[in-house]
Amino acid sequence: MIGILICQIALSIVVASVFLFRPSLTSSAGWKIVAFVGLCVLPALCLVGGMNAHVQRSETTQFCTSCHVMIPYGQSLYIDDANHIPAQHFQNHRVPADMACYSCHADYTLYGPLNDKMRGLERIYLQYVTQPPDPAAIRIPGGFKNAQCLHCHAGARSFEENPVHSPIMSTLMSNEVSCLSSGCHDTAHDIANLDHQKFWKPVQ
Amino acid sequence: MKLSGIGIRRMLQISSALVILGLLLEMLSLLWFHPLSFVLFAFVAAGLIGLGILTYLVSLVLVVAPRGDTGH
Repeated sequence: MIGILICQIALSIVVASVFLFRPSLTSSAGWKIVAFVGLCVLPALCLVGGMNAHVQRSETTQFCTSCHVMIPYGQSLYIDDANHIPAQHFQNHRVPADMACYSCHADYTLYGPLNDKMRGLERIYLQYVTQPPDPAAIRIPGGFKNAQCLHCHAGARSFEENPVHSPIMSTLMSNEVSCLSSGCHDTAHDIANLDHQKFWKPVQ
Repeated sequence: MKLSGIGIRRMLQISSALVILGLLLEMLSLLWFHPLSFVLFAFVAAGLIGLGILTYLVSLVLVVAPRGDTGH
């Protein structure tokens, strides 16, 4: 995908270069069309393709953990503990392993992806302009919402027929009772105790 | 405001230079796997490409064909 986009960018550069060195060519009708394609259509397509590629890349686990403060969060995905919710989801492929962070932390609303990008830019600002936060002190603004769990679990038979879930289903749906902080699934990214954890090693 | 043929050619060169620089930075941002690559793309490369396209479109609006090119 990126290879095709790189070829498209290279082609656009070649076409645009013609008008950098020989702008007088545009005096003929045929070259006017080439100029329109080379200086307007192709660059615009490259912009759209570039944005698409960057947005897709920013959803990968590898991208999230390439940020220094996120490294311990990436390590916590390998904790060998059945109660550790993110690790269990990652290791058992309950979420796509290459999009593990995004699957649980994406804001599944109309402007959610845009809000996520703005939050990401805010973190880059903190990292490079002000004081980078302590990884263990990072908290999700407003707390982790049940909607992010329910995006996959709602409607699943094993979830809805669970004797613990079924009596409190309405409070889970309305976010009155938190999946994480109500004492049920409260072990998520235990960064502070990472040194004392046992880790799972994948075969590969 | 209308520009002469030389002025339009100058604008085309500026437009080409901006587009080429923006596209080169976009290529760099795609090959560089780093959180800052998105910033490079969104704020620098996209800005330069957008400005290049805008310059080209402005040159079309301000165009005045030299007498010899009209065929009359």
